[in-house]
Amino acid sequence: MKKLFFLFIATCLTCTWACAQELQAQPQEQSAATAQQPTRLQGRVVIEGSNTPLAGATVTLGVQNISTVSNQTGEFSLTYLEHGDEEIIIEADGFQPAIELINLLPNRLNDLGVISMQQDIAKEAQEEILMNLAETELNDDEGKSQEQGASFSASQDVFNNTTSFAWSNARYRNRGYLQTYEQNYINGLSFNSAERGQFNFSAMGGLNDASRNKDVINNIEANDFTFGGLGKATNYLMNASRFAQGWKVGLAGTNRNYKAAVRATYATGMLPSGWAFVGQLAYRFSPYIDNKGIIGEGIRYNSFGFFFAGEKVWENGNRLNLVVFGAPTERGQSGAVTQEVYDLTGSINYNPYWGYQNGEVRNSRIVHSFDPTAIATFDWKINNDNLLKFGLGYHYSWYSNSALQFFNAPNPAPDYYRNMPSFLWDGQIVAANSDQLYDMKGNNPTGAHYPYGNFIGADLNGYPMGSGHVGNDGQVLGPSIDVNTYNALVNLWQTRDNQATQINWDLLYMSNLANNHNDPSASARYIQERRHNDIHEGIANINYTNTQFRNLKITAGLDARLSQGVHFKTIDDLLGGNQLIDVDPFADRDIKELATNTGLTQEDIKYVRMNDVATDYNTVKHLGDRFGYDYRINMTTARLWAQNEWSFNEVDFYYGLQFTYSSMQRTTDMVNGRAWYQASQIHPAQADLYLGPAAATILAQQQAGTLRAGTRWIGYRHDFVDPAFKLGATYKINGRNRIKINAIAQTTAPLARNAYLSARVHDRVLDNIYTHDRAANLVDYFAASEKSVGGDLTYEFNYPLVRGRITGFFTQFWNGSEMNGYYDDEARTFVNQAISGINHRHMGIEAAAAVKLGSYFTLTGAVNVGDYRYTSNALAVTTAENGMELGRKDGEVLPYFEVRDSVYMNGLHVATGPQISTSLKLSFFYKMWFADLTVSYYDWNYLSVAPSRRMMGLYKGTRTDGTYINGGYYNILVNNEETSAIMTDENGQTVYDAYGTPKLIYPYNIIADQETLTSPNVWNRFLIDASVGKLIYLPKRQSLSINLTVNNITNNTHFKTGGYQQSRLPRQSKQGELVSDGSGNAVSKITPNAWKFPSKYYYAWGVNFYLSLTYKF
Amino acid sequence: MKQTTNILLFAATVLTASLMLSCQPKAYTEDDVFAKETELAELTKDGRLYHLQEFVDSFMTEDGNYMDDSTRYRTRSTIGNGIQMFSIDTLPADGPGIYIMGRVTTDDYGGNYYKALVIQEIVGGKQQNLRLSIDIGSAGGTYQIGQLLLIRCNGLAVGRYANQPQLCVPSYNNNTLAMHADEKVGWTPGRIPAEIFIRNTTLIGTPDVSKLVYEEMTMQQLYERYLKDYDDASLKAASQRHILFEKAREIDGLLVRVTDCHFTGQYSKYGVPDTCTTGDPELDQNANVFAPTTTNLNFPQGRFIADPSESILAIVSTSEYAKYSHYYLPSAITVDSLGVKHFDYAAYSGSVEGILGYYFDKASDQEDATQYSSYKWAITPRDMGDIHFHDAQGNDWVPVEYSKN
Repeated sequence: MKKLFFLFIATCLTCTWACAQELQAQPQEQSAATAQQPTRLQGRVVIEGSNTPLAGATVTLGVQNISTVSNQTGEFSLTYLEHGDEEIIIEADGFQPAIELINLLPNRLNDLGVISMQQDIAKEAQEEILMNLAETELNDDEGKSQEQGASFSASQDVFNNTTSFAWSNARYRNRGYLQTYEQNYINGLSFNSAERGQFNFSAMGGLNDASRNKDVINNIEANDFTFGGLGKATNYLMNASRFAQGWKVGLAGTNRNYKAAVRATYATGMLPSGWAFVGQLAYRFSPYIDNKGIIGEGIRYNSFGFFFAGEKVWENGNRLNLVVFGAPTERGQSGAVTQEVYDLTGSINYNPYWGYQNGEVRNSRIVHSFDPTAIATFDWKINNDNLLKFGLGYHYSWYSNSALQFFNAPNPAPDYYRNMPSFLWDGQIVAANSDQLYDMKGNNPTGAHYPYGNFIGADLNGYPMGSGHVGNDGQVLGPSIDVNTYNALVNLWQTRDNQATQINWDLLYMSNLANNHNDPSASARYIQERRHNDIHEGIANINYTNTQFRNLKITAGLDARLSQGVHFKTIDDLLGGNQLIDVDPFADRDIKELATNTGLTQEDIKYVRMNDVATDYNTVKHLGDRFGYDYRINMTTARLWAQNEWSFNEVDFYYGLQFTYSSMQRTTDMVNGRAWYQASQIHPAQADLYLGPAAATILAQQQAGTLRAGTRWIGYRHDFVDPAFKLGATYKINGRNRIKINAIAQTTAPLARNAYLSARVHDRVLDNIYTHDRAANLVDYFAASEKSVGGDLTYEFNYPLVRGRITGFFTQFWNGSEMNGYYDDEARTFVNQAISGINHRHMGIEAAAAVKLGSYFTLTGAVNVGDYRYTSNALAVTTAENGMELGRKDGEVLPYFEVRDSVYMNGLHVATGPQISTSLKLSFFYKMWFADLTVSYYDWNYLSVAPSRRMMGLYKGTRTDGTYINGGYYNILVNNEETSAIMTDENGQTVYDAYGTPKLIYPYNIIADQETLTSPNVWNRFLIDASVGKLIYLPKRQSLSINLTVNNITNNTHFKTGGYQQSRLPRQSKQGELVSDGSGNAVSKITPNAWKFPSKYYYAWGVNFYLSLTYKF
Repeated sequence: MKQTTNILLFAATVLTASLMLSCQPKAYTEDDVFAKETELAELTKDGRLYHLQEFVDSFMTEDGNYMDDSTRYRTRSTIGNGIQMFSIDTLPADGPGIYIMGRVTTDDYGGNYYKALVIQEIVGGKQQNLRLSIDIGSAGGTYQIGQLLLIRCNGLAVGRYANQPQLCVPSYNNNTLAMHADEKVGWTPGRIPAEIFIRNTTLIGTPDVSKLVYEEMTMQQLYERYLKDYDDASLKAASQRHILFEKAREIDGLLVRVTDCHFTGQYSKYGVPDTCTTGDPELDQNANVFAPTTTNLNFPQGRFIADPSESILAIVSTSEYAKYSHYYLPSAITVDSLGVKHFDYAAYSGSVEGILGYYFDKASDQEDATQYSSYKWAITPRDMGDIHFHDAQGNDWVPVEYSKN
């Protein structure tokens, strides 16, 4: 380790310093040669209507490609310029760009005077909408959610400026990257969560003024505040001096997740004392929405945001910044559902998470989030050429969401698959064969229509059973479906019956209250639990910038961070129950198998179901008590980076190097019975893998009856070292045309959330993760890290009437990892699946151009065509959370409790939004009226595939590790007879797709194939947005702005933005036949009902608006 | 002054925000969610509340109205003389309300009941019972033992499944490879979808298990009252057989408590008692636990109980999916010097509670008189808690689960 760091530092310093020494004399030489006055330019940028200085505006000379930034008084200056015609472009976030054409006179000061910047009120509204979208993505601590980061843009970049908002409706992801590849900083300090890898946008919820000023670095580029990475890097600049003096009060109304917002900001501007202060308060609100079928049904929203910052600027240029902000938020959630639910309810806004309690709406999934943050930075301007920035930050992120939990009681989810009309199909579907290729409406691709679709039409002896039916929902039904029962269910859904199609709170209370009567000491049948996923982090960094050399800019930084993820559950509401008895319901149910398979003694059996095997653990839990699990992940990150940027007349280039050390270590306050079971019964020789280095002590204390509840047990520390190298160059063809090339190679440690096989239960991590004290090999530090190499090539042009760029990009990732958990119908228990070795490649083209059409109109076009695919199969390690056996090998007596298998992922598309996105935007500006109309088209959007459905063992009968999969092949069980679902050619040979995965015949291919989300109707692939606004300047430097943004104005309700396959496979047991491996398990096969457990989808909202009114004074 | 104004403005905003914070809807009390018996008249005013037996007698026919359509391939299980083991009579969805009411006698927590409830009504001091076939897993969590239910039966059906009357909906059994599939495949009474049952059912008051009525009897009395006829050769004759089956329909679902009995360590081998093995219940379907594997044929396993003299036998039935299925039959277990376990079943005795039922689903057995024996009857406990055994010293039986160790 020490050698690596030494090598790193030596490389940077030697390279930089040696080159710099040679160049150090250049300014002096040049200065001596230029005896006469240099050509200079100066000016002052103010906000139109108020004459308030605008700090931080970027002033770019288009021809010479030189830029600077306005200071606190709005002034800027540039020296040593070339004379001649020049295009001055002034840009600032939240303002319309200003362009001035001048002729720079030689050897004199050219004064531009005062330049007034007009506010871009439409962009303010758009950023608020983006921020709101991003907040909702942190839903997926347990299940799935659709990722949507707030992909803000730098105003200078036509592509990002156009697409960041316009394509957000379609959940477009920059280059198909997950949000974990984007880095977010605040005043130079990294705030991406060390555990989840992403930024918590709800921390700044509603504080749009506080988050308005920012630097955005697009993908791989030279970067002042961090080394950067493959995705964007955004640095939110919350310096008080950047805020215009005065009041700003805003009101907003929308039909999105919240309905109304009010916010107020006051900034002092720079005071004579050198201090500047700013504060913002924001409140966003929605009552419970009781109207079914509208956006946000069943959701309530309460968010209060505060932001205070102070900045002291000394005359010598040193600065001290102090920032505190937070946004305590409470909001209801909605969930993805199957197409059947959408069709029956006739609405894409159906939300399964709510119901009525005492006549009032109540949502079962309420998020509480509050991430108070404090940041202090000090900029030490050593001299004009050397700047040292120190930063300290701390935040405690409370994040929790509620969910219903049930114990020996009916599933309360209204859209549970057994509650749907389609469940009546189960057992009534016939086998597929060559002449029965029908969809569930009875149609086949050739247009033929079979009256019963795939349903049974004849009796045991082949005699027709009579007429089929068409249900009230238009579904073709075979004669073996009782149409009256089917329609009774359909009618409940179509009429949105409160009891049947929403959470039946009455029934949950009734169950618990009845339970109290039968046994006052019994566990509640239903509770509302709260799953806490908190994290607190302390962050420190040092950034050094050196500009003493004319052609070289040196930046270097050291970031350090200590993080702790805190995970536990509490009882949010007992729903009328007296108490909860804290035992694991899955283990409780499967105790029979555990006892017989592994030979537990009677004394030991009871421990398996315990969530804490401590002798004095009190299993009786009441409101607010912790239960289930209680563990922490301690994480350390240290990052050292350096970057050199060289700038010459025709060519600029840069390179940078980074080393990151990180570690993770789990601690737990509860010794879970399944962990104890694994350590003591299944893997006694490797007990420490499950219980950590204290395994022997824990087991001994447990046996002696001295294991105490609440003791904190520390797991193994896992270390990672990740190097990264990047470089890039810009060739300036002339002042208006340039070519850029960037490349990066890096390794990235797995996130803690993906590293532990079952962090709630035990300490076990992915196989290839280096465990401190257990192995000692340098390669081990890198083994589990994801490796990536990427690059892009850009041509940029910038003319007075047209500007834009075209970029080609390519990135290859190797050895990624992810974690899934689901109910496995084969094992009939909950399993965890750790997938590693995920390789994927992202390549494509992004292009945009903005053309001025006369004085009032601008036409902007943008297009992204990508191909994001997995490039190999992956490896899955599957374990049952309760420790059940999952497989056996012929000839071996011992069962396998963890099974390994390949996942056929090669060739699948990475499901991160549309891979073709295009839009055309017409913007209008005249006398402070703003308007724009954007038409967007999307294609190549794909469903997220469940790895459990594409395991090699399912196709071949044997897993990679040699264990037999129950039931063998991807065989279908029809009338207790097996038939293979694997496609064969006329010679009986298996047919493979282009990537080597066996193909399945219809309709069974719908179980495993990746589905396109793109609508077959071309018109449904378009989304149209518009906005209009007016800025009114009032006397005494006051202004009033109003803006209306309407998205999806054609109310396209057929636009799927994402979705996922359910992990559960439609299986059924084969009567009277046991697996031959001696396990005693029944043979289980795929059922002919391929439509069981269908995919779930997310839709783009229908027509939605955001109306804002802002008054400045 | 200006600063004061600014502070006040901030404070006003904060206060407004605080006031707008909403809170959870009011929690329910029992009065909010349970209907009261005094409201029965109001709840049933659009129709009529039937006694359970009256309901069955009024709407359940021998052939079932759902089978009228000759294109509907029906189950063919009969015992001859037109006595159908399976039937479905649908009830009108509209028109006057058809109501039944009864108290739940089952509890599926133990896993011995699955997607089925039995309700009990006491009429004239006597039990009337009816099975409810519902597609609700862990239904006992909501419809708890002792809970009084009022059910609107319109749109549902009443029928017989293996001669057991039940509230149901029509369902097509497509198991064409089942044993005697030609008798079974076809329309049968099926489970009522959860949402329909929930929609049609009102919970009256809170559960009260003390109001459940058990018919308590000795093994001798059980035999004399209900089982004896099924060993009577004259009643097994084809011409008289319908008497046995009509009686079985009336008795089915009876809640009983049989006293002074013990397990014999025997299983039913084609209707004849045979000694259980001590094998692994995962692999050996004759092991001496309540319900070893059935190799996934999914039939309940029978284990014999007997009176003290072991002259009268009856069957206790357990599902292989019951949580206690792999617990040893009540016995004193000793381990010899070789580590072999020995089981003394007579060491523990007492009473067994459960639901009495008679299940007959194969027409092919109709001419086999041995099939109509008293061993076709079974008592199905709700859980191990229904077995109240103790040894000669009065020590309670402590259940022991099978383990390889």
